[in-house]
Amino acid sequence: MQIDDPAFWRAGAISTTVVMSAVLVMLTIDSLAAISPGGSHVPPYTVINVHIGYAYDGKLGRDMPVLGADEPLFGKPVTEAEAAALIERGKLVIQSRACMDCHTFMGNGAYYAPDLTKAWLDPAWDAWTAITGAQTKDDAMARFLMAPDQYATWQRKMPNLGISWQEAQATVAYLKWLSAIDTNGFPIHFGRIKVSQ
Amino acid sequence: MSPPALLLTSLSLGLMVLAAGAYALLYGIGRLKNSRALLIAAACAYGLLALDAAVLVQAAPLGQAWKLLIAASALAYLRIPPLTWWYLQRTHRDEGAHT
Amino acid sequence: MSRSKALAVKYLAAAVLFFGVMTLAGLLSATYYINPDFLFGYLHFSTAKILHIDTMIIWLLMGFMGAVYWFLPDEFGCEPAGIAAAEILFWVFVAAVLVVAAIFLFVQWGPAIESTLWLFQQGRKYVEAPRWAAIGIAAVMLVFAWNVIGTALKAHRITGLMAVMSVNMVPLVLLYLIALPKIDNMAVDLYWWWWLVHLWVEATWEILISCIMALTIMRLLGTSRRIVEGWLYIEISLVLGTGILGLGHHYFWIGTPDYWLGIGGFFSALEPLPLLGMVVHAVYDAGVHRMRTTNRPAFYWTLAEAFGNFLGGGVFGFMITLPQLNLFAHGTQWTVSHGHFAFWGAYACGVLSVCYIALQEQRRLATVDGPGWIWAFVLLNGGLVGMVGSLLIAGMAQAFFERAIGGSTLDAFIAGQENPWFRLGIYSRFGFGLMFAAGYLTLAWNLLAVGRQQSAAVARAVPAE
Repeated sequence: MQIDDPAFWRAGAISTTVVMSAVLVMLTIDSLAAISPGGSHVPPYTVINVHIGYAYDGKLGRDMPVLGADEPLFGKPVTEAEAAALIERGKLVIQSRACMDCHTFMGNGAYYAPDLTKAWLDPAWDAWTAITGAQTKDDAMARFLMAPDQYATWQRKMPNLGISWQEAQATVAYLKWLSAIDTNGFPIHFGRIKVSQ
Repeated sequence: MSPPALLLTSLSLGLMVLAAGAYALLYGIGRLKNSRALLIAAACAYGLLALDAAVLVQAAPLGQAWKLLIAASALAYLRIPPLTWWYLQRTHRDEGAHT
Repeated sequence: MSRSKALAVKYLAAAVLFFGVMTLAGLLSATYYINPDFLFGYLHFSTAKILHIDTMIIWLLMGFMGAVYWFLPDEFGCEPAGIAAAEILFWVFVAAVLVVAAIFLFVQWGPAIESTLWLFQQGRKYVEAPRWAAIGIAAVMLVFAWNVIGTALKAHRITGLMAVMSVNMVPLVLLYLIALPKIDNMAVDLYWWWWLVHLWVEATWEILISCIMALTIMRLLGTSRRIVEGWLYIEISLVLGTGILGLGHHYFWIGTPDYWLGIGGFFSALEPLPLLGMVVHAVYDAGVHRMRTTNRPAFYWTLAEAFGNFLGGGVFGFMITLPQLNLFAHGTQWTVSHGHFAFWGAYACGVLSVCYIALQEQRRLATVDGPGWIWAFVLLNGGLVGMVGSLLIAGMAQAFFERAIGGSTLDAFIAGQENPWFRLGIYSRFGFGLMFAAGYLTLAWNLLAVGRQQSAAVARAVPAE
């Protein structure tokens, strides 16, 4: 009988694999378009020139990034090419320092340090701006990155990774762009709940 | 979903698959030993799975499509051990003396 | 002993050695959660973690390679094609791993320029190794693929099992190339990175370990080739039928379109079904042979594989796979709990089974038994279950307090990490980690020592010619 013949099941294995792989390829083509900068879910790199928020969208039933008025980073708006260069350098920082082996990005990485998806929007920066002696949030973030061991947030300190001022600026730019990605509502309720210690 | 619902729902989903595993294990050993007691225990394990699935379908804060998936999974889990066993016996029948 | 089998023993020994490194790095990683100032300024959590997860990949990969080199000459009736290259590359592979480990320990990081990625650190999870090493690993795997495919061509014949293994080599090697590029856009980077990670551990590695387990079962239980091949094809259909689009469960939150929530959730919810079939199959095989075998450790580790895969991948995975729940559980210790259990059950147990099979033949033992393997089995499995249970508690606390209640900010993260249930899980995990480490030492001793007295006695008893 056919079901006793391994060749029958071999045909099943081959056809299943081929069909599923074909569907994956088609979905990949569509998804890559959506996640390229300027696509439906991922903003262009020049989004770092504007204010970014995160609010509940009643129609979609989840949290969504909200883009606002002009708000250049470090007081200087950037062109497309300058933004791309900042993002490229920012990613090099993230990889060269293995940030992903303490932190998570969109929940992927290591779980020893906080998730950085919405780090740009974290309400804690209000206090840290004063603590680091900075004038603005982006300045505070950059100062923190350059000497994190001096600005311990709690008992788990971030080590000093020799991040230069240029690298710190690029990393801040990267985190700002990252916070504007539509992650289908992850992390849920970000910043809308006050934690009492 | 609410924080308690998060924990209860996920634990229930885990319990469902765990019960499926218990059912499969007891069913297999029951068939090997021709033991009515073990097969009844297997049925009880499946009963727990079915009850768990029913509670999920009734009360979990999930959409209709997901509840349908849970219900369909529960039915699939029912059929897998006897179907697998039937196929194992069929393919091994030429191997020599077996239960 | 054939050259391929001799190489297999080297790979299996190296695998067990790196298993030890992984365990040590795991204990170190766990220490930071308890004492965050430990070695601060010298060696940090990130380095310990990199060593832990990368040696995990390495030891399992070496275990698979050892298993394949062990069975290849029996399957083809000849030495594998390219065996000389494989023998040299073994030493190159081991040396490269040691050099990379030294770089991670003593260099750790570099400036944000391309040469850092080439020489020291690529900083993408599991594939942090610098580009020169990644290229080296790709070369090792290419030769490995040739050892299988080339031998089939040389022998002018191929079994169904070897055909599956040969075809599987192609995506296995190609997917690894994703370890090489630097991609600026994190969403695109993670999209492709998950092709490597998921389509390795939930697709091509599953096929590879299934082939290895098929060969193991044929050896251990004398099951016919026709039966194992039929089952292999059924398993491939179910595992790839659910797992290829189950990849979507990694595409919920990385900026991809929301149709992935439905597709990924649906297919990964089906992934436990074939694992349940494997449990039934394991019970059947154990039962019809009345648990009798000449190699009890190999047999029990094979059983552990079937049950561990189901529990770790199926039960623990199903708890967090639906997107409505994953939204809270994603990127917490809950994930860690599932990951440890699934990797252990799906892969580690299988590799350990092969170690015992190889050493039975290598030491010409009529039977392999004794108290040593039992102690190792109990300590390792008990330690592992204890660790994942502890991480489950910590993870659920984190999802509850940091995510659901806290809103995932820095303050919420800290509150979650300091929560008493979380702390309980962390301390408990460390304790069970020590138990696991004790199990490793017992295992290593047992693998070195088991049967040697018996072998020596047999050798002495053989009358001189």
